Amino acid sequence: MSELYQALAQGLLIGSSYGLLALGMGLVYGVSGVVNFSHGDFISLGMFMCLALYSALSLDPYVSVIITVPVMTAIGALVYLFLIRPMVGHQFLMVVQLTLGLSLVLQNGILMVFGGQPARTPSVVESKLLLLGDVVLRVPHLIAFAVSFVLAGGLYVMLRSTDFGRSIRAVHQNAHAAALMGIDVGRVQVMTFALGIGILALAATLLLPGTPIQPTQGLRYTVITLLVVVLGGMTNFVGIMLGGLVIGIAEAFGTIYLEGPLGLLMPYLIFVLIMLFRPQGLTWSSSR
Amino acid sequence: MLEIESLTAGYGGVPVLRDINVKLGVGEIVGLLGANNAGKTTLINSLSGTVRPISGRILFQGEDITAMPPRLRVERGIVQVPEGRLVFPDMSIRENLLLGGINSRARPHRRQQMDKVLELFPRLGERLSQNAGSLSGGEQQMLAIGRGLMAEARVLMLDEPSLGLSPLFVQYIFEIIDRLHAEGLTILLVEQNLNLTLRHAQRCYVLERGQIAVEGVADAVRDDPRTKSAYLGL
Repeated sequence: MSELYQALAQGLLIGSSYGLLALGMGLVYGVSGVVNFSHGDFISLGMFMCLALYSALSLDPYVSVIITVPVMTAIGALVYLFLIRPMVGHQFLMVVQLTLGLSLVLQNGILMVFGGQPARTPSVVESKLLLLGDVVLRVPHLIAFAVSFVLAGGLYVMLRSTDFGRSIRAVHQNAHAAALMGIDVGRVQVMTFALGIGILALAATLLLPGTPIQPTQGLRYTVITLLVVVLGGMTNFVGIMLGGLVIGIAEAFGTIYLEGPLGLLMPYLIFVLIMLFRPQGLTWSSSR
Repeated sequence: MLEIESLTAGYGGVPVLRDINVKLGVGEIVGLLGANNAGKTTLINSLSGTVRPISGRILFQGEDITAMPPRLRVERGIVQVPEGRLVFPDMSIRENLLLGGINSRARPHRRQQMDKVLELFPRLGERLSQNAGSLSGGEQQMLAIGRGLMAEARVLMLDEPSLGLSPLFVQYIFEIIDRLHAEGLTILLVEQNLNLTLRHAQRCYVLERGQIAVEGVADAVRDDPRTKSAYLGL
């Protein structure tokens, strides 16, 4: 029984970060129709930046965010302006191709700088544990959970009750009408993409402590994020957070109850099953 | 107030409109008529800046706005209420109205402006937190016009406001248009409905296959045989 609680708790904690990762992707898809296949490699980039900052300045990953989030946000804006924007409005597959190419560039760039050996970025809280009865919770996971939900809540409030948030939703619902309101649609798209990458930088730090990283891991994160976004109905805020939790729990159950490769398959299996019965995603409406 | 000088515009370099000359005086209500595909929406989108002209000029209060992006035109007060209303369906009436007043000139006083709009359309005020997608066609048209007024329009361009509405609602919407005109607003009324437009507009232009076929005061346009041919394609 304690195994069950352990799996549930672990899954919920990690899943919240998956939800956060996917919110970035969902927002970008909502306003630009772009699915970013280099999403996971940007997470890698964020993680390796933390590693570099630790090696050079002995910065804890939780401190590094002060640097990585603004830098990654700026990189996101530049990537959108100079690489993605010229493609938007053309064939959907061209953008897919572009972001896949970007994924390879990022992956190999990281490989060139850091080499192929798995690396770790230490943090002061890395090995701290919290005991709840029989359930062992790792403090970094608790931090990830708390920060993810606070940030998701913040994003929700931003989308609901600020002019920038309403502009994002307006562009998502009808870009032409948004332009007629005097909203600069291009600017909203750039800022949303930058915001999405900035969120990734934060999520990268949340997932980092205690996790070995390697340059080739990006695709795994991209796929996990895609699963979550699709489960959440692509642009549904609550659905995406819920999807994150489902995938997180599936992963935790897989690793705790099943042996080796079979366990790793668990999130994908659950995903296929849900899609068979609920192809529209987990939630009922697509309101955002 | 608004002048279009020998405008040619279209999509992907292919002209839809050819050599258009249109003038709007301050406080005037001008009708722009034409059958389907005559180019009415292309013309109104050229004024909003979402369609780029191939040649010609557009002047607003003496300023050349031909190459100005849509955002700055809205700021100047050139506001479009689009065909098919295009309200934001998953947002509340209140949010739709707030977005209407998001341009930097209107934003500082949009709360007061919203009170005015709700006075004009009390029905919207009763359901401010209801999603726009759940409104009837007529209510959505009220919202679309209200949203346009939130931008503190100086020229309000209405694209087919009567489209798909019940006769009662059409009458109501045109009463509102008359009232806005009486308050001094300059209005460009784009319509397929000939008789209705001739009754409410002071002057009219009739578009036929991308060119102005007839222009003049409403009565003259009504009696001109070319108006009928433009409509029937004879």
